[in-house]
Amino acid sequence: MSFKRLDPEDFLVSSDTVTSTVWSDETVTLTTFFTSSTSSTNDNYYKNVYKTSARSDIQFALAYGDKLGSGSAQYNDLVGGKTPTRTVYGQFRNLIYGDENSDFNFGGTTSETFWAISIERARYKEKLLPASLNLKISGSYNLELTDNSTLVSTDTFLDCGRVYQLISGSDGTSYDGGTGYSADQGSYGLFLPDISTIIINPLAVSSSIGVEVSRSYDAPGENISTIFTAISGSTGFKVNSEETLSSDFVFVRARNSEFNYSENPSFISGSTGDVIFPALINSPQSFMTTVGLYNDTNELLAVAKLSKPLVKDFTKETLLRVKLDF
Amino acid sequence: MGFLNNTTVTLDAILTKKGRELLARGDGSFRITQFALSDDEVDYTLYNPTHPSGSGFYGEAIENMPLLEAFPDETQVMKYKLVTLPRGTARMPVLDIGYSNVSFKQGTPFTIRPNTLNYLSQGTVNETSGYTFTISDVRLLNSFNGVGIDTPEVQALNSTSTIGTSVSKTVVGTTLSMTATTINTLFGTNTSLTATLVIVGRDSGARVSIPITVTKVQ
Repeated sequence: MSFKRLDPEDFLVSSDTVTSTVWSDETVTLTTFFTSSTSSTNDNYYKNVYKTSARSDIQFALAYGDKLGSGSAQYNDLVGGKTPTRTVYGQFRNLIYGDENSDFNFGGTTSETFWAISIERARYKEKLLPASLNLKISGSYNLELTDNSTLVSTDTFLDCGRVYQLISGSDGTSYDGGTGYSADQGSYGLFLPDISTIIINPLAVSSSIGVEVSRSYDAPGENISTIFTAISGSTGFKVNSEETLSSDFVFVRARNSEFNYSENPSFISGSTGDVIFPALINSPQSFMTTVGLYNDTNELLAVAKLSKPLVKDFTKETLLRVKLDF
Repeated sequence: MGFLNNTTVTLDAILTKKGRELLARGDGSFRITQFALSDDEVDYTLYNPTHPSGSGFYGEAIENMPLLEAFPDETQVMKYKLVTLPRGTARMPVLDIGYSNVSFKQGTPFTIRPNTLNYLSQGTVNETSGYTFTISDVRLLNSFNGVGIDTPEVQALNSTSTIGTSVSKTVVGTTLSMTATTINTLFGTNTSLTATLVIVGRDSGARVSIPITVTKVQ
């Protein structure tokens, strides 16, 4: 017999979390920031940020949203309040709260404006890793932001999944030992790992480091440039991603009396099936190189190779762990 | 005093073409229930029963060889299976199909009934569990049927079909019945098409591979 049935206890399903850096080339902390040198019709909505001057590798995008539509020109002067920043505001409100009547709430303080950092899809595997965020921004002063995931005992959920507050601190903890919020404008924003988005509260940033948003109608793209300058003028932006990898393990067991002969043509001499060496008749040895996993109808579904042949004879038993990733 | 080696050999498996096909089908046919071991790449003529250092070194030349990574083509891996036979077996089971190659014309039927020699000291037998027949390119045939095994699993396998590209097809039976294709466009400018037929004894693990040639009829 060449096939052996697997028992239920030979199967194990294991889910493991794999984390990695977000930025290109395994860079841990992003320290160089470039925007496109050419203008685009999308500049009123968002700007991509690159790691190198070659501008071939988008790292994240910056956007500005305003409930009243301030900060960009109106689509049509006859229709007030309908601007790209109003569109961005509604877009993220819908995505995060799933409710057109909600206001952005930053640790108890509502705000009509926000900056959004959206991580490029190609940079992360599944979602962002809480407590890995360290975002430095600078204005009149410097500010380092992180999420408060290590300070909260239970996660809070919105329509977009888990939500953490942005606080002054690093690696998920505050510098002041307290909440890490701004003095009077709530938290510095929201960290939304499941949609890989960071929302920054301009009110809190303005009160801490003096970086202001413009709420006039004649400054298209200016607020995006403001937050880009604040980020690029600092020394780094670090965040990691995480992915849940489900693996099937199959334990393959060959007992001492099993799999000691081979149907390899070089094991046989001539067309009559004689074993090639008399020494292999009473003390057979086989050299396994490959494990094949089959279904009930003997169809080969998966295959695994050893790094070098493994000897099998009547004095040896073998246990192999085969890992199947999906 | 020395430390015992407590490492477990862990292997990373890849899905075969057939595995991906069955996974995509989503009908439960991708269900691993059994395994087999093979010694593809091993050349037993390198085994040296006269090695001057003794029996512990007979397989030295084989044990140290580096191996290639796995191929996803299910017809190119697991070719030579390790089998469980009683100790003292002097002759290995071999398949006798009566042909070293098959060549037939478009639309012509052909039947193969394999026998196994030396299996469990029974001389020549037609194996109870039958044989798996795998054609490397099913487009060469209008029909490719296994006959003689009526278990539900085998009937389910024999009734499945995949159309389109040059995929393999496997059927199970004691006898293979096939008919060459009648589709001329498959030939292009060629006068014949060739594929490989692999036959494996489901009990013995014995294997034989022969070329199949279909000749175009004008």
